[in-house]
Amino acid sequence: MNQNSILKDIISDSNTGLKFDNARRNQALEAKGQIMPKATKTGTTIVGLVYKDGVVLGADTRATAGSIVADKNCAKIHYMAPNIYCCGAGTAADTEYTTNMVSSQLTLHSMNNGRESRVVTAMTLLKQYLFQYQGHVSAALVLGGVDVHGPHLYTVYPHGSTDKLPFVTMGSGSLAAMAIFESRYKPNMEREEAIQLVNDAVESGIFNDLGSGSNVDVCVITKEKVDYLRNYNKPNQRIPKIGNYKFNRGTTAIISETVKTFNKSSEADAMEVV
Amino acid sequence: MSALKPGETTIMAVKFDNGVVVGADSRTTTGSYIANRVTDKITQIHDRIFCCRSGSAADTQAIADIVQLHTQMFAVQSEELPPVKAVASIFQGLCYQNKNQLSAGIIVAGVDNVNGPSVYNIPLGGSIHEEDFAIGGSGSSYIYGYCDKVFKAGMSKDDCVEFVKNAVSLAMTRDGSSGGVIRMAVITKDNVERIFVPGNKMPEQYLG
Amino acid sequence: MTSIGTGYDLAVSTYSPDGRLFQVEYAEKAVDNSGTAIAIRTKDGVIIAVEKIVSTVLEIPGSSRRIFPIDHHIGFGSSGWVPDIKRLIGIARDEAWEHRKSYQMPIPPKMLADRVALYIQAYTLYSSLRPFGASPMMAGMHGDEPYLYLFETSGAYYGYWGCATGKAKQLAKTEIEKLDLSNLSTRDAVKEAARIIHTVHDDSKDRLFELEMSWVCKESEGKFTRVPQDLYNEAVEYAKHSNNDDMDDDEEL
Repeated sequence: MNQNSILKDIISDSNTGLKFDNARRNQALEAKGQIMPKATKTGTTIVGLVYKDGVVLGADTRATAGSIVADKNCAKIHYMAPNIYCCGAGTAADTEYTTNMVSSQLTLHSMNNGRESRVVTAMTLLKQYLFQYQGHVSAALVLGGVDVHGPHLYTVYPHGSTDKLPFVTMGSGSLAAMAIFESRYKPNMEREEAIQLVNDAVESGIFNDLGSGSNVDVCVITKEKVDYLRNYNKPNQRIPKIGNYKFNRGTTAIISETVKTFNKSSEADAMEVV
Repeated sequence: MSALKPGETTIMAVKFDNGVVVGADSRTTTGSYIANRVTDKITQIHDRIFCCRSGSAADTQAIADIVQLHTQMFAVQSEELPPVKAVASIFQGLCYQNKNQLSAGIIVAGVDNVNGPSVYNIPLGGSIHEEDFAIGGSGSSYIYGYCDKVFKAGMSKDDCVEFVKNAVSLAMTRDGSSGGVIRMAVITKDNVERIFVPGNKMPEQYLG
Repeated sequence: MTSIGTGYDLAVSTYSPDGRLFQVEYAEKAVDNSGTAIAIRTKDGVIIAVEKIVSTVLEIPGSSRRIFPIDHHIGFGSSGWVPDIKRLIGIARDEAWEHRKSYQMPIPPKMLADRVALYIQAYTLYSSLRPFGASPMMAGMHGDEPYLYLFETSGAYYGYWGCATGKAKQLAKTEIEKLDLSNLSTRDAVKEAARIIHTVHDDSKDRLFELEMSWVCKESEGKFTRVPQDLYNEAVEYAKHSNNDDMDDDEEL
């Protein structure tokens, strides 16, 4: 007799357990010589911290494709839910797609149960998706938000591991940013102080990390409201050039001058408006 | 990329008369960078059952979440506290069947109504061992001798807490992949007590 | 059988206007046609006794038993359609095995009861299915605690100190009710069970029968096994003796 429970024939199979199907398929394809797609990576500085009334997220705005700056002012702080936002580092397409997909799941979930989304829910959905793809979806995230249980801040790694901490940094500029946090973070900061610290951490990434650059985006989430401060700080404004390439009038000498006039063949009737 | 490489950790669990003490360091690394210096590697699976995780953070977190789900189902269906052995067995099933894609060394410890306190060690290959005390992670290599010498059957709760604290701190100072603070939990039939030892309150030892 | 011809008994998936499932009740009738099975739970064990009716002297004694071990610590006693019972036995064994495989420990009787009941119930939901014509009883141990459950054809089940199904269930139940179950030793329960089966057996209808007895208790070290031969013999002797006494009483009356 079938050793498996026959009950499973009647009651649908539970969808739990580990699944490596996709990862193994990709490995097998790669071994056979298939060239796996390589995508644009955002060398990035993203940060977040918990302060007195909520969380502050921060990000730079440089997107790179190899050694080229693909976008000088992109937005890396993604919307997840009205009370949850998420900074993304890694492959731009992956962070965008992953956060979008989870955001949609959160919306449906909160409409179904009539409650505000929780940050752990977002975190769990993200980590389960990323774990399933065994790190091949390269999204390194800083997830922050305020829910019924108060402010929460997580980092989510591409392999699906998560950490819950009062201040976090991610991306290639994370070391520079963390140096700022480690020296200046303290619990229960005021709003302005917290925003300033986040700004300085991201700036530290912008100035010291090749992968990060351009402007600072900040997002302040409290129980009451969200302030998405796009381009909160622009430390890399182009200053007016001292010199220019314009030739002064009269630089070129006029040797001769000819003027020809054309005769209009006929005067066209103006179109009549009925 | 992956945090917490194969056993870059120190974890341990000790059984005493009416409970267990579990302990771990708090370091999570990505390459040479410490991604988290205050990690909690002691994860609660049920009211009176905990596990210590070593290996890939992503893998062990995923496994612990799945085992948590199974354990809750078990507890609801059997209408009693789940036996530690059952939980260890679920861990072992997952670790063994997926051994080729996982790097996870897990110690399961807790108290139940049938067998009292127990400690199970599930190292990398997915085998399972019931032990009086268990140590795991890269840091454990440095303290096998110490543990074998110091462990005595029938130690009191306080003795066990001291034992774990000393052993983990010794491993943390010699193992580069272990460090930070010591996190512990004392699990008895009617209580769970979490203990936190900050980096500047470590037991005294020779530091050169 | 007021249900006949009403059209509400053509499928289990149809309720009658007063909220009954006739097919489930018919299944119960199927159970009532088979030999009597009883079970008694004491402080430290459970004993199952079955009157297996033998239709011909040509049948080899001991072939095709009606008590089934499921796992080391759990067994089923049964009445009803034997093939239906065997299906449930298969389910129960699979479930017990699955539990051992996943958790490396024996399944608690309550969990197994839940699953078997769920399975029986599933067969009362679809017009394409026939409910089980079986009402098995389950004896098992969880640690030192004995458990006894009786499943009904609807999939409902209850825990019992004593239960009976089959032809003479009413008579058997009244007999069990007379026992002092909280003080009865398991060995004595075996004797009483043998006695009850002998008492309720109707010689005029079914001449031949085999008495099957299995138990799970402290003395059997928590294992579901047949009652030891010497105790079995002793119990049969006791049963026959007390039945004769009863007859004497009757004669006096």
